[in-house]
Amino acid sequence: MTATAAPIGAPGLPRRAAMRDLLSGVGTIMSKELRSRMRGRRAFVVLTVYLGILALLTYGVYIIVAPNARASGMGLAAANASALVGQSIFAALSIFQLVLVCFIAPAFTAGQISLEREKQTLDLLVSTPMRPTAIVLGKLAAALAFVVLMIVAAVPIVAIVLMYGGATIGDIVRQQLVLLVTALALGAVGLFYSALLKRTQAATVLTYITMLALTLGTGLIFIFWTVVANQTDEPNLGAPRLAPEQVLWLNPGVAMLDVIAPAEPGGGNNLARALAELHGERTLFGGGEVRCDGDICQPVDVFGNPIGSGDTTGHWWPRVGLTYLVGAAILTFLATRLVVPAGMRWAFRRRHSGAAAATGVDGGGPAADTLPDNPTVEELEA
Amino acid sequence: MIPVVETRGLVKRYGEHLAVAGIDLTVGPGEIYGLVGPNGAGKTTTMKILATLLAPTAGEAYVTGIPVGADPLEVRRRIGYMPDFYGVYDDLRVWEYLDFFARCYGVPANRRPTMIAELLEIVNLGAKRDEYVESLSRGMRQRLCLAHTLVHDPALLILDEPASGLDPRARVEMREILRELRGMNKTILVSSHILPELGEMCTGVAIIDHGRVLRAGSITEIERSLRATALLRIDLLGDETAAAAATAWLGTAPGVGDVLPVESDDADRQRLEVTFDGPSEAQAELLRAMIEAGHRVVGYSQATSDLEEIFLAVTGQQEEEAA
Repeated sequence: MTATAAPIGAPGLPRRAAMRDLLSGVGTIMSKELRSRMRGRRAFVVLTVYLGILALLTYGVYIIVAPNARASGMGLAAANASALVGQSIFAALSIFQLVLVCFIAPAFTAGQISLEREKQTLDLLVSTPMRPTAIVLGKLAAALAFVVLMIVAAVPIVAIVLMYGGATIGDIVRQQLVLLVTALALGAVGLFYSALLKRTQAATVLTYITMLALTLGTGLIFIFWTVVANQTDEPNLGAPRLAPEQVLWLNPGVAMLDVIAPAEPGGGNNLARALAELHGERTLFGGGEVRCDGDICQPVDVFGNPIGSGDTTGHWWPRVGLTYLVGAAILTFLATRLVVPAGMRWAFRRRHSGAAAATGVDGGGPAADTLPDNPTVEELEA
Repeated sequence: MIPVVETRGLVKRYGEHLAVAGIDLTVGPGEIYGLVGPNGAGKTTTMKILATLLAPTAGEAYVTGIPVGADPLEVRRRIGYMPDFYGVYDDLRVWEYLDFFARCYGVPANRRPTMIAELLEIVNLGAKRDEYVESLSRGMRQRLCLAHTLVHDPALLILDEPASGLDPRARVEMREILRELRGMNKTILVSSHILPELGEMCTGVAIIDHGRVLRAGSITEIERSLRATALLRIDLLGDETAAAAATAWLGTAPGVGDVLPVESDDADRQRLEVTFDGPSEAQAELLRAMIEAGHRVVGYSQATSDLEEIFLAVTGQQEEEAA
């Protein structure tokens, strides 16, 4: 891979025609992938089972929480009891769906390109005028289409929480966004490894290792980093010593907790306070409070006036989301460079170096030969 | 007229290994051109360069006059490439498979159904249109792969060992299809490590070994050029003295090299193998002179006539020269 590699597009064509070419290519790959993926009953059985589990989970949360809410004697008004049910269901569904997405999205993409290599179909595909960008985007879109279907098909179940109250439509929209972006990013991770490695098995293993590193790994790193940072005799007068919060920008779990926080079951603000502390909201450590009003939680002083740097929720999910979108874009781009065999990457590069193209084949070869071909990975594979 | 395929001094080096060591080819429109050579001779590498899948280390390659390095996408639109090893999408139906590749080549939707029907007729898979690719036999898959090279109506087909791994019947079918394609005015560059497989249908052949073209031209031209140093097999009526007399006489005849007595199947006959330098006329002249000299010739033939032997002779000569 070289940083100088030009994006793929046809400079000779007007941009609109190039875009139309790309979209039709994506559509071609996508329809082929979906044809083989959605054929038969399997996809529908999987979807039905998934929705069944979500429905059961919802019902399970209801029968556990509802009697407690009613009989808790905590002086909860009927509306509050209902909200507690809604919020509990929302939290349970959100976390459960996130875990599923983390496991399903990589499974759908980790074999996409390596399987073509293993089955020796990639050569036929890359010797057509189909652009690598279209191949990679088409594969990603096809793999994600089913994940998106699973996420979107569950919306009616998630929407049950609106009946009980306690969570808003805004909460649900944010929850859906976090799920979709997580699916996209983890899908891109799988696709990247699939393009990088020759064997599907290796790609799958590395994809799941990466997924675990992003979810559990970043959490552990944050904790250890913070612990180590506090191993000092110097008095800590100012802000708490924390690991850089950027570590947690990689964690979809933090994003989901951030989405759940305003609708924390029971209307408390422990989650919001914890999340605020994670990014070093100073006032909290002076014994401050967090008050939530609708979707927004803010630290307040003892008189209930907002203080500090601002919101405590809504801090994490946009940052995680943006990090994931950028990460997905980078990995997808790298995959487009890797999907083409080393020997023919020249074919696409040369098209953009106008002067070189005019000289014909001469001079193209040596450049292509010096192109690094991920030697470490191939050695590993060998 | 612009040749459909032209390479000049094509070189491909993989590290230390020189896979293609300066290959020059010219294939005109409508030809079926065979690349023949043992495994590892450089046929596949040459074809991959022409198919824009590999960059040459040096040299030039043109397809219909377009340098493959300058405009690979345009070159791809003009060629259909069938690699020596390939897989198929098992879980697609036969028509979906062709439809997919047609879309990859940007064939408009309204032309695809008729085109697919026609292609399936050409490769004799019309009845299998709705079957899954998975259920096809090896020969059928090979023909399907051949059909996929035709979806965008390319001028040139590059077929790398299209008949490898097929049973004799399937080979004959493949050959028939290639003939049919030639009738459709396609130029075909086809490779094989077995010369006879190609000999009958090729208009031109290049014999390749160790990355070099040893001989190129039509089969007859190659044969003729080889006959310049032909091995003649002469059967004489009589006993060993007749053979000795003929050997002595041949030793003085022009163009004759070594003369070796060979075991004959028939006790009444003696067989001599004679290396002979000269065109066919000189061979006829030798026979006439021999008979006039009183030798009782009952058999007179050229030992190397079969394509397999041509190939061995050419590659053998090369090795001798190298030694």
